[in-house]
Amino acid sequence: MAGDDLIAKFQALGMSEQKAKETLKNANVTKNLQLSLAAAGSATLSDGTGMLIYHMATKLKPQTADHLPLLVRYIVEHKLDNTQRVDAALEYLLKCGQSLNANIDLQALEKECGVGVVVTPEQIERTVQAKIKASYKEALLEQRYHFNSFKILQDVRGELKWADAKSVKAAIDVEIFDLLGPKTEADLKPQTKANDKPKAAKPKAEVTPAAQTAEAASDGATTISELMKTKVHFHAPGENFKADGYVVTEHTERLLKEHLARTGGKVHTRFPPEPNGILHIGHAKAININFGYAAAHDGVCYLRYDDTNPEKEEEKFFLAIKEMVEWLGYKPFKITYSSDNFQQLYEWAVVLINKGLAYVCHQKAEELKGFNPKPSPWRERPIEESLRLFEDMKRGKIDEGAATLRMKVTLEEGKMDPVAYRIKFISHHRTGSDWCIYPTYDYTHCLCDSLEDITHSLCTKEFQSRRSSYYWLCNALGIYCPVQWEYGRLNMNYALVSKRKIAKLITEQIVHDWDDPRLFTLTALRRRGFPAEAINNFCAQMGVTGAQIAVDPAMLEAAVRDVLNVTAPRRLVVLEPLKVTIKNFPHAAPVQLEVPDFPQNPQQGTHKITLDKVIYIEQGDFKLEPEKGYRRLAPKQSVGLRHAGLVISVDEIVKDPATGQVVELICTSQPAEQAEKPKAFVQWVSQPIQLEVRLYEQLFKHKNPEDPNEVPGGFLSDISEQSMSVVVAFADRALNQAKVYDKFQFERIGFFSVDPDTSANHLVFNRTVGLKEDAGKK
Amino acid sequence: MSELNMELKKLRELELKTQGLAARIQTAKSGEQLDVDLVQLQIENKKLKNRLFILKKSIAEESTAAGGDVSKPKESSSITEHLESVFRQAIASAFPEFRDTPVIIAPVNSTSAKFGDYQCNNAMGLSKKLKEKGINKAPRDIATELKGHCPASPIIEKLEIAGAGFVNVFLSKDYASLALSNLLRNGVKPPEVIKKRVLVDFSSPNIAKQMHVGHLRSTIIGESLCRLLEFLQHDVIRINHLGDWGTQFGMLIAHLEDRFPNYLNESPPISDLQLFYKESKKRFDEDEEFKKRAYSRVVSLQKGVPNSIKAWELICNVSRKEFQTIYERLDISVKERGESFYQSRMLSVVEYLRGKGLLEVDEGREIMWPDDTKTGIPLTIVKSDGGFTYDTSDMAAIRHRLEEELCDWIIYVVDSGQSTHFNTIFKAAERSAILNPLSHRVDHVQFGVVLGEDGKKFKTRSGDTVKLSDLLDEGMKRSLQQLESRGRDKVLTPQELKDAQESLAYGCIKYSDLCHNRISDYIFSFDKMLEDRGNTAVYLLYTYTRICSIARNSGEDFTNLPEILKKTNIVLDHEKEWKLAKTLLKLHDILIKCSKELFLHFLCEFCFEVCTVFTEFYDSCYCIEKNKQGDIIGVNHSRILLCEATAAVLRQCFYILGLKPVSKM
Repeated sequence: MAGDDLIAKFQALGMSEQKAKETLKNANVTKNLQLSLAAAGSATLSDGTGMLIYHMATKLKPQTADHLPLLVRYIVEHKLDNTQRVDAALEYLLKCGQSLNANIDLQALEKECGVGVVVTPEQIERTVQAKIKASYKEALLEQRYHFNSFKILQDVRGELKWADAKSVKAAIDVEIFDLLGPKTEADLKPQTKANDKPKAAKPKAEVTPAAQTAEAASDGATTISELMKTKVHFHAPGENFKADGYVVTEHTERLLKEHLARTGGKVHTRFPPEPNGILHIGHAKAININFGYAAAHDGVCYLRYDDTNPEKEEEKFFLAIKEMVEWLGYKPFKITYSSDNFQQLYEWAVVLINKGLAYVCHQKAEELKGFNPKPSPWRERPIEESLRLFEDMKRGKIDEGAATLRMKVTLEEGKMDPVAYRIKFISHHRTGSDWCIYPTYDYTHCLCDSLEDITHSLCTKEFQSRRSSYYWLCNALGIYCPVQWEYGRLNMNYALVSKRKIAKLITEQIVHDWDDPRLFTLTALRRRGFPAEAINNFCAQMGVTGAQIAVDPAMLEAAVRDVLNVTAPRRLVVLEPLKVTIKNFPHAAPVQLEVPDFPQNPQQGTHKITLDKVIYIEQGDFKLEPEKGYRRLAPKQSVGLRHAGLVISVDEIVKDPATGQVVELICTSQPAEQAEKPKAFVQWVSQPIQLEVRLYEQLFKHKNPEDPNEVPGGFLSDISEQSMSVVVAFADRALNQAKVYDKFQFERIGFFSVDPDTSANHLVFNRTVGLKEDAGKK
Repeated sequence: MSELNMELKKLRELELKTQGLAARIQTAKSGEQLDVDLVQLQIENKKLKNRLFILKKSIAEESTAAGGDVSKPKESSSITEHLESVFRQAIASAFPEFRDTPVIIAPVNSTSAKFGDYQCNNAMGLSKKLKEKGINKAPRDIATELKGHCPASPIIEKLEIAGAGFVNVFLSKDYASLALSNLLRNGVKPPEVIKKRVLVDFSSPNIAKQMHVGHLRSTIIGESLCRLLEFLQHDVIRINHLGDWGTQFGMLIAHLEDRFPNYLNESPPISDLQLFYKESKKRFDEDEEFKKRAYSRVVSLQKGVPNSIKAWELICNVSRKEFQTIYERLDISVKERGESFYQSRMLSVVEYLRGKGLLEVDEGREIMWPDDTKTGIPLTIVKSDGGFTYDTSDMAAIRHRLEEELCDWIIYVVDSGQSTHFNTIFKAAERSAILNPLSHRVDHVQFGVVLGEDGKKFKTRSGDTVKLSDLLDEGMKRSLQQLESRGRDKVLTPQELKDAQESLAYGCIKYSDLCHNRISDYIFSFDKMLEDRGNTAVYLLYTYTRICSIARNSGEDFTNLPEILKKTNIVLDHEKEWKLAKTLLKLHDILIKCSKELFLHFLCEFCFEVCTVFTEFYDSCYCIEKNKQGDIIGVNHSRILLCEATAAVLRQCFYILGLKPVSKM
């Protein structure tokens, strides 16, 4: 069997049998190895050369595949004698890759890879000593063995590029031992957190890319900026040709040079929503990645309305999209419209036809659907005919659906000749009746990217299959070709984001509007009180990997809590009040108490609350018949009043004679310092104002309400009965001043945000999240 | 341009419909279901308005663009038209005050090659006009000036002044070679003309009567006109104005009721409708009781009483089947829209004319004068008994065609005997504002009678009118004899022989009808039409078959013309090659001429010319060279391409003329 034969050959390179078998599964590496073996001929491979060849074969990119024989020769000749030199060679070749069939300057290559450079142990030792003395001695003495010696390694290798890493590490260890002596007990303890933080925040703590990959244990980061700086490895502007799958043509070198001249080497990204609906949590990821990547690299990001489909666009969507982008804290470099480019796109379509790369087709839309649709019988029609018909299409002479312009390219999944233009006799909100042919996504997207000199065209994984047509089209027209990078879509469980389905929820009066806080549109999240920062951080945690992610809302809520915990001032509010009269109220009149906004951090400010003879506590904080372990107020158990310095105990219980329900407690109070320390403190209010508080629960019962397996009756049958309830709560007068979207922590209850329904004398609050993950559930 | 006009009309029509429906919905105003329709219609309406706007804009763009860039002649323009635009520009720049002078371009007889291929004859007229303004300028000087002002055109090799003041035009060989290459690559394309919505009213036999040779002429000429106009990209509506209405149906129905009382359940086996007609006519004339019943059936038919309608349909179907057989044999397609179709429209056209005060009572009838001078023959719109006449139905029909079908051109293919009638109808339609001569064109394409070889009206030996099916059968017989006399029955397979026989029989009947000026009477003679020399279908078909065989016999594959054209240029160095090329390129001129004057014999003459010029070419230019042993020693690709171009042109012309060439004959 050929497989066994190969396994034997691979083993000859120095691989274990296991590894050889695994390698065989990777068609690409196997192919590279076979070619390498052929190129290596009868050279000795067992001395490590074989593994270097293997290393090269795994890292070889398609752009540089042509140079494989050269690489093999250099490895066999021991000119590239370690992985470092092989990597340097690969990198050098890749750099030469922007011009087609470039001649490799061997001298430059050898220089770049340090061929023949020998570093002696003495040199290493000397350099290590010098480096430690110059920069690390103090830190070493202070942090001892907790010091990350990797930095020294980097530093040394910066100077002695071709020094063997192992030898350098050994030399450093020796020097450090000389300096610090043997490890103490403290050195063996794990580092405390406090130490960790300032270090992480150290602005100068520059980490090299190699270190990053070593540390990249998770895909996410705590903030977008950190994510984009440390976890994302896109190409640098102008080095498009280094990206996998990028197609280099004879024009690439010139086009990239011109592109760099226009952009000044800045990162250009874009967020390109179709203005046909409301943005939702999934878009938040796209916004963060595009704007975030640009911001983290001092670049710019466009907000581009992809308004090529006149049927679906409505003015209100444009405004809403911009508002949400700004709410998330981003400012578009420019706001553009795909429709701005209609004339240019049209002219390019004519160029394509003239080149024989596009043709007018009369197959009906139905004929193109399904598996293996028939190839177009119009594919080979004369160019002149297509030109004339395309002109007829433009001039309104052909019926809707009776003709399309198609490109002669096959997509990854085998779909042939995607449509570039179709006829629509609907006027466009921006171009009016100028056009009755409209370009498709496949045609428009890459060309607008090119026009805007986008460096990184970031999109979700579904579009991977359009990547080749993206490159094809730019190259067919001989224009600058951006690089498309894909990331996984973010899906939220228990949520529904389809525009049509939300509209259905609204018409069925299940939710109130597009921004009903039970939904996952961005307006809904804002209304519910989610801070933009929390949404951004949540996106950062999700990372930019290719995997499609589905998460529970709890994860987002946790991010929300993290932010609100340090930003939302505390207030005392009772949701279900129980009247308490303090018989021996220690003051002659009501008193004002100064209460900190953040009890853990009093210097962050205070507010005043009123304490009077009559107070209200939470009904749930009193129990006639307490169970064991109950810590709050009971007939025989006193409780402390938060911030009031009083401990109350029940004297008398007033019940409604009709229902037997407790309606009031008559209590006596003691100053906290005199009383026995109560088991708990509860929140209370005096002379309260009333609040309308809206409590929300998950709208759907199942994770995937749209999945017919999970919910056979359709998403409308999956609605929780009690997804929203309204209570009238009592709060201190201090809350009177709250403005819409102000956020508070109602102590011991949860986080709440002022709803836009609030009017001068009617405060409305939404519960954003409970204090703990399961607080909302019972 | 005219395509756009057509689209505009269609759109207007659609828009009207949309508005109508929207209005109906508005008044109905019931239920949600309708609202959905309404929304749909509103969207549709919006789209239509938008499209209308875009089309109008395109018309404006195209008419400014059509100013004429003669440096790039379109593949689709005819040589004459192109030269007209060249000289129009020359006149406009040399003599701006006479910019509107119509350009006169005439082809030069191919025998006087030294005078070029075309000439412009405007100098004489311009000289006269200048004289009227007091300027004396010799035509020859004017011609020289015109020559100097002609913009460069790739069509023109050179211009020369000749005689009193002719500007002779010599065509460019490069252009001709390119034009023929394009023709081979893209097929024969029609010349560009202003596109119209044309209704051709032809054939139009009467139910229950024989189709005679007169109908044959209308059918053949009408079909070919439709094919010509369709090829020129007009929107053609082919209408068979069947005589299926009128008093005679009363007696037919009454007779049917008596003869086949069970007709409602069982289709009556009428094999000879003519006989049936005669029987009923006899009873009608002799039996007063029957006559009364016949009249009452006319009334019930017009009222739409189901039994009478059923009877009427049964009778019509018998005729329809007979007609259809003939149409199929002759490869005719036409849409039936008989007089009955206009029943309700006759009522409304009478109302319309009455409302305009155009009807006058005359001895109990209501008549209408064709024009305000009230001379000539008036139309009888309503008879004294309240019934309608052919005049009424023709007025209803012309109104329907112009106002409902939105045609801008109507062609009536009817014998010359009807010319007074149609002229009256056209005038009356104009008088009553149904027809607008500025935007509508109406033509009576008249034709003469068919004569027998004795020069008298075409009859059978026994003096009866000739049944069409018999005539076709005779044609088949005679064409078989013709083939057998040439020994073809021994060469061809039975199927090939049958194909050839049909091609010849029907081809020659059609061609002999079409190849004469249709207005004159023509003598029907199988002997003449089956001659294999002269301007006959037989000659053309044989020549065509021969041309096709040349490429086939070259031993090479000439099916993929675009590929061959990549490697081969068409060379026109030999005098006969050049002559053939120029002849072929006249096609567009000829087609335009045919469509302007609605004469098809020009096209027949063109085919004949192509065949003779080809024969000259073939006689003096080797296409395939063979040695004495008969082996091929050389193939002239360029010439074979010329053969193929000739075949392509002939094929297109044959299609229009209804000739079906066969591969072997």
